[in-house]
Formats: sequence, structure tokens, C-alpha cells
Amino acid sequence: MTPPIVAVQDVVKNFPLQGGGNYLALKGIDLEIRKGEFISLIGHSGCGKSTLLNMIAGLDLPTGGTVLLEGESVKRPGPDKMVVFQNYSLLPWLTVRENIALAVDEVMPDLSRSERDAVVEEHIAMVGLAHAAEKPPLQLSGGMRQRVAIARALAIRPKLLLLDEPFGALDALTRGNLQEKLMQICNEHELTAVMVTHDVDEAVLLSDRIVMLTNGPGSKIGGILEVDIPRPRQRLEVVHHPSYYSLRSEIIYFLNRQKRVKQWQAKPHKVLARHGLEKVNLDLGFIPLAACAPLAVAEAKGFFRKHGLDEVQLVRETSWRGVTDGLLDRTLDAALMPSGMPAWMTAGGHGSDPTPIVTALTLSRNGNGITLARRLADQGVRSVADYRDYLLRNNREPHTLGIVHPASMHNLLLRYWLSSNAIDPDRDVHLQTLPPAQMLADLKDGSIDGYCVGEPWNNRADREGHGFPIVGDLEIWSGHPGKVLGVREDWALAYPNTHIALTKALLEACRYCADPAHWDELSQLLSDRRYLGMKPELIRFGTPSGCAENPHGDPHTLFFGPGVNRPSRTEHLWILTQLARWSEIPFPRNYVEILERICAVSVYSTAARELGLDDVSYQRTGIELFDGVPFNGDDPIAYINSLSIHQDFSVAEIPIGVPRAMVS
Amino acid sequence: MATAPGSGFNLGVCWKHNRKFILPPIFGIGGFLLFWQLSSSLGLTKLTGPLSLWTDERTRELLLYPFFDRGGLDKGLFLHTMNSLSRVALGYSLAAILGIGVGIAVGLSQTLNRAFDPLFQFLRMVAPLAWVPIALVIFQQNQPAAIFVIFITSIWPILINTAEGVRQIPQDYRNVALVLQMSRQKFFTKILIPSALPYIFTGLRISIGLAWLAIIAAEIVMPGTPGIGFFIWDANQNGYVSDIVLGVVWIGAIGLILDRLMAWLQTRIAAGR
Repeated sequence: MTPPIVAVQDVVKNFPLQGGGNYLALKGIDLEIRKGEFISLIGHSGCGKSTLLNMIAGLDLPTGGTVLLEGESVKRPGPDKMVVFQNYSLLPWLTVRENIALAVDEVMPDLSRSERDAVVEEHIAMVGLAHAAEKPPLQLSGGMRQRVAIARALAIRPKLLLLDEPFGALDALTRGNLQEKLMQICNEHELTAVMVTHDVDEAVLLSDRIVMLTNGPGSKIGGILEVDIPRPRQRLEVVHHPSYYSLRSEIIYFLNRQKRVKQWQAKPHKVLARHGLEKVNLDLGFIPLAACAPLAVAEAKGFFRKHGLDEVQLVRETSWRGVTDGLLDRTLDAALMPSGMPAWMTAGGHGSDPTPIVTALTLSRNGNGITLARRLADQGVRSVADYRDYLLRNNREPHTLGIVHPASMHNLLLRYWLSSNAIDPDRDVHLQTLPPAQMLADLKDGSIDGYCVGEPWNNRADREGHGFPIVGDLEIWSGHPGKVLGVREDWALAYPNTHIALTKALLEACRYCADPAHWDELSQLLSDRRYLGMKPELIRFGTPSGCAENPHGDPHTLFFGPGVNRPSRTEHLWILTQLARWSEIPFPRNYVEILERICAVSVYSTAARELGLDDVSYQRTGIELFDGVPFNGDDPIAYINSLSIHQDFSVAEIPIGVPRAMVS
Repeated sequence: MATAPGSGFNLGVCWKHNRKFILPPIFGIGGFLLFWQLSSSLGLTKLTGPLSLWTDERTRELLLYPFFDRGGLDKGLFLHTMNSLSRVALGYSLAAILGIGVGIAVGLSQTLNRAFDPLFQFLRMVAPLAWVPIALVIFQQNQPAAIFVIFITSIWPILINTAEGVRQIPQDYRNVALVLQMSRQKFFTKILIPSALPYIFTGLRISIGLAWLAIIAAEIVMPGTPGIGFFIWDANQNGYVSDIVLGVVWIGAIGLILDRLMAWLQTRIAAGR
């Protein structure tokens, strides 16, 4: 691999404040830029992206760390790293030609007069401004001025082109044309470029990599996205590339997350202790699904208040990732989460340090299904055997199925169902993580072939004619855990009474939700914009969608009942085996300790007892899914090995430390 | 502009279009002169009315024959004015050169600015007349003292505006110079001067008015040399009130012309900035 042309190494930037003190703008920035690469810097206003650009340009010097251009430290600005400024920076007393000539004369004194003139003319023509060469910039439109600025920058043949929000002030049409022009020029001249932008689409269209910066103070690189869309790109065509929307939504997720953190930081966060509870002001995360009913009910019916939790805020996230991040950065106190998430986060499946998560309550069981696109039914796919044949027949085409999260039951059930039917979920199909609300849209436009998700999304696909249910979860594992209440372990230890009160409120809400007499009311409640924001008839709790002849006759989603709500170590162990089976996490050698820490059975028991629900006890026996293979909890590793399809999983000790309470 | 064939200059149309620009000033000025003449005729004030420029025989002669020269101090008003103007030109040119030079230095250097700005702000408040005795003490001669008074009165707006103009050079232009690694001299001629030019011209225009205002103060100190300031001073000594009025009219007219001249120069040189 070629050495990087630019290396930003551990750069820190401090700005002295008026009245003493320092503002830490950037912290620990590491970035390498290869020759010919186009990099975008994106982030909210004030995140220091322009500062970073200025330091690469040499217009500003880092307080700590270094910026290297071809191995040499950048100490001052120079024509080898030319900047295209946001407000064009053309000299108004010179004409277009004179502006460009000024730069060329200054930078290329060795060339003869006529050679320099030729360079100037070439670049005026390149940006298509020959007709305006004699005009002063003030007589030109914004787009034309920016073209002059780009021509001026390119005319001096910089090693590195730096663009500071080059198209920010332009109207959409001009911007689109200029983006294409810039892309074309960059391709033809193999330019290395760094661009600061606010515009997500612009970043995806132009970049090879997108560097996302977190909010200041102390901004750092929050993530780098590789844009795998082949060049040359056309503005109107890139949107059809399969990666386009996932890249776009990744950036938007990041920016929204940053905004939410900022809003959260702007509010005062005092821990309010009241009624003998350590904390009564809670931020509770959820995503819009029928299974969020207990949270909505607890809020609407005043169960939180009844148990002393006076100030509970329900925070709607768009994806499970938002829930994970909210718990990680402590902007959420507790959350509705897929039942696999406590084990997954405790084992470090989210990619950073293992973060012990505790669950004291299973909020729902069932309520999921697998939907395939209608066009597969049109090709004769009726059963899983048909689907397998279909995949064999069309094995050259990619088959993408949507899941909501690697740690969700949807992923685990879908994979289990596929592999038990001799379809390898990693080879024969491609599983893609999508927010539930996006799945239907993707199914509709054909970018995915099916999905496994909770209601109401199966029901809606069926009713709207975009998909059909191939199998319901009741036929895979009836009574499987769906969503659980999850909190950080250090939170649970810091606020034990609050944890019990929260469990009580939600357990009571679960009981309310389980009564069929309330289902119409629940549909109405959840149809509100604060929760799901869709027509109430699409949100159903009765028989599973599309299964008029429900073989089990059970209500689809279970919210309450014997063995429904108590956290089960066996189930979480099964989840651990499945997560390890698909290499989401290594199988923890210390799984007994992990299960002990995940399942806050005593919190559940206390809550149930105080509600007078002693009879809701643990009744479950072993776990057995539709294929009849019993789960042996005594030897989990042997169980994974006994399953026909699995990845090469590893076994490792997960370092989760000793339980420690959060210090606020 | 294209005009239809056969359509000549039409007085009626022209009047219709421009009367709202012509009538109000006529009424305004006419009204003012009438009021002045009446209050003088009715004895409300000892100041002679505007008609005295004509009725007073000596003044009428001065009014009608601005170019006569009977030697010594007995000259037409035009010749007096030319003397004054050359004095103003000298003082003003000095002020412009020094004002722009020092202004650039002060504008570029924070330290110089901090050192001298209080002094400049202080000196700028001193009235032209107050400089006269100081100028005489410094130079001991009439001519240099008068030029000094004009210079010291008119330098401040030039200096302060130039400094501001240099400070106001957009960071973008400075960045362009930095990125292109322009030499200091190039930066001066290609960026600093063109960018600060509008500010400099604003200063120059304010100053030309001030320099002309200072002429009376300057020429008071110069008995025995021709000049419009001296003319008024002399008329005052002799109690020729209508001569004073005539002198004032001349000063006002010349001041107006000078200001218009600078405004025209400004639009020619520093246009579109």
C-alpha cells in the first residue's frame, strides 16, 4: 500500500478563551489520507471540522500532535495545499482572469509569461467560464464565483485540495452541477482532496471516506465510513446503489445521536430523590414497536407515578443502536431492548469494552414473524422448502434479509430457522441490519427480499401487499422472550429502590396489556405520534398476522402470565450460545457469572411480591424449538457444536470486573 | 439611449419628470434668503441681508471682478482663493502621505495601535484654532505654521480610516496571500492597498472638508499674505460685514466643489469595492 500523503497524528487543538481558560476544540485526532483519496469531514456546527481543515492547510497550528504532508510537518500554509474557501475569497478588484493569474504568477514564477497565460486559460475553460473571464467576481453568481475559486486552486497544481464547505451557499441546482464538475475534475487529475461539509448527500456522493466528528468541546473522530460506490459516479445514479441509503442513514444516525447528546447535556441532570427512591427522573429508551405497549401504558395510565417515579420521560429512538449508545453514554437510564441485548452488551458484542447490563423483567414474548417479499410468492415460494429451492435456483443473485439488530431475537430466530432448514444464514443469504421502520420501505423498493421483525411490520407488509408471512414465531419457538427491560449494572447498583419501583410499574403495565379487553385501547394508544404514529388497525395484539387458522390459538404477544416476566437464566444462556454460534461474541468461559449478573431475579421477585403477585413464578422447563433439538444448559459448548450450521466460534473469558455502583 | 425619430427635446416633458427635484431646493434656498433679508431689513439683526452683496458698492465690485489684481493685498477673490487652495493643497498632501503611511503601520501592528491610538484620539479632538499658537511657537514663521495647522487638522480622519481599512481586510484575503505565500511587497500592492482603498478614500473625503475648514484658522496667523481666510479677517477688522458674507459664500462654494471632486475621484478609483 502506498504511504499516506497526509497523516494527522494525535492532533489536539486548544483555543484560548477571553477571560482566561482554554476551549478544547479537538482531541486526539488521527487520520491518514492516501493519494488520490477524497475525504469528507462531517459534523455539527462547532465540532471543529473547519479547524481540522485549517490545520491541514497550515493556516492554523495544532496545540499538540502533528500534521504531516508527504512526511513533512505542516508548519505554514503554502500552494501545495490549496484551500477553496467557503466564501470564495476572490479579490473583487480583479477580474476572473486576473484572480487566477495572480495565483499562477505567484506560484509558478519559473514559467514564461505565455506558459502561465496558457495555464490560466486552460483552467478558465475547465470550469466553463471563458465567457466571463473579463468580469469582476461581483458581477458573477455564487456558483460561478465558486467555479473561479476552484479553477484558481487547481491552476497551481496543489498536492492536496482543501475545500471548506465549498457549495454551502449555493442553491440546490447549482450545487448539484458543481458537485459533478468537481468529481469529474478530481477523477481526471487524481486529486487528493479534503472537504468540510454539512450535506450528507454531498459527502456520500463525492467521498471515498467520510470522517464523522463528534460534538465539541474535545471533538474526536466518531467514525469513518468507507464509501464503496464505484467511480465514476453520477449524481442521479448513486442513489440506486445498495450502499447509498445505508451510508446515508449511518451518517444521519450519527448526526442525530450527536444532537441528542448535545440536547441532553444542555439540560440540567440532577438526580432527583423522592419518596424513598434514589432517582425519580428517568429517561427510558424505546423504539416504535407494538412491544413497547407496557411503557406507553405505564406512562398513560400513571403506573410510573403510582410507584413514585414522578418524572419518567419516554425517549423514542429510531433504532436499537440508539438504545445501545444511549445506555453506553448514560443519556438513558433504562430501556426497552431485545432480549439478546443484555448478554450481547455484557459480552462486549457492541465492539467496545464489555458493559454489564442487567434485566429484571421480560416485558413481552412472541410478537415476531418472518416476512418474504410478495414477488417470491409470485414465483411460487409458499414454504421454507420452496424458499430453499428458490435460493438454489437463483444462487448468483444476492438475497438480502433484514434484521433489526444482531442481538435481537429476530436475528437469532431467523438464523435458527434458516439453518435448521439447511439454509446457511451467512452463505446462502445476506443479513442486513435495518431500523424496523425502514424495512417495509426497503421491501417495497426491492432492496431486501424479506425480514424478521416484530409487529406491526409483518402485519403491514401483508396488508399493503408488499410481502407475505412465511412463518410466524409461534411455529419456531412459541413463548420465546421478546423484549426485556435493561439497565446498566452500575445504574442498578446505584439506584436499587428505583430499579424495583420501575420493575413494579412496568410489571403492572404488562398485566394491563395482557387483558384482551384492553387491546383496542392499546391500539389506539400506540397509534399516537409519540409512540408508533400509524393507524390503530395496523397495530394488533390478537392472532398473528396472516394466520387466520392460528395453530396454537394463543394470543400472539404475551405480556403477562405464569413464567412470562421473570428473567430466565436458561433463556439468556441459550441466547449466549446463539450469539457465540454466529460469532457475534466469543462464548464466555465465565458464563455462569455473567448469567448471574444479567438476571436480576431478586429485583423481579421483590417487585412481584410487593405487587402481591407471588403466584407468577418460574414454571418453565427446558427450551426446545420447532426442530425438536433440546437445549442442554449443562454443556452449552457441546450444544453449539451439535447444531448443524455454526461459525467458527471462540471461547474466552469476558472481563467484566466486579460489580460497582455508578458514581453520579 | 434610443429616441424615436423626430422627437426633439421637449421642455414640458423634461419639466414634468424633474420638477420634484428642482422645485424643493428653489423653495428651500429662496425661503432661507427671504427670511434672512427680511430679518435684516426689519432690523432684527445687525447682519446685512443677502441683497447687500449687490447693493453695497464695494462688495458688488468684489463680486463682479474676482480676477483683478492691483498688487499687494488688493486682489480679486479668485486670486485670494487660489492662494488659500495652494496652502491647503500642501498641508493636505502632507496629511494624506503621512496619514496613509502611519495608518497602514498602525493597522498592521496591534502593538503600534495600542501605543498610539489614545494619543491620536486625543489630538484629533483639538480644534484648529487651538493649534495656531502652538504652530507659531514651533515654526516661528507664518507660512509653515499655517500649513501645519491645515495638516494637523486634516490628518486624523485619513489616519484612522486607513488603519481601520487595513484592520478590516477580510481574513479570506489574508488567507489567500498566506496560501499563495505572497511576498510582503506583493501583499501590499495586490491585497492591502486595493482592499483598504475604500476606507482610505472615506478618510480623504472627510479630511478635504476639514482642511478647507481650517483655512481661516491658518490664515489668521498670517497677516499680510493673500488668502480667503485673510480676506475675511481683514474685512472683519474693517467692519465690512457684506464683504464677510461674500467671503463666506466663496468658502462654502469652494468647500462644496472640493467635496464633490473627492466623491467623484472615489467613484472612479475605488468603485465597486
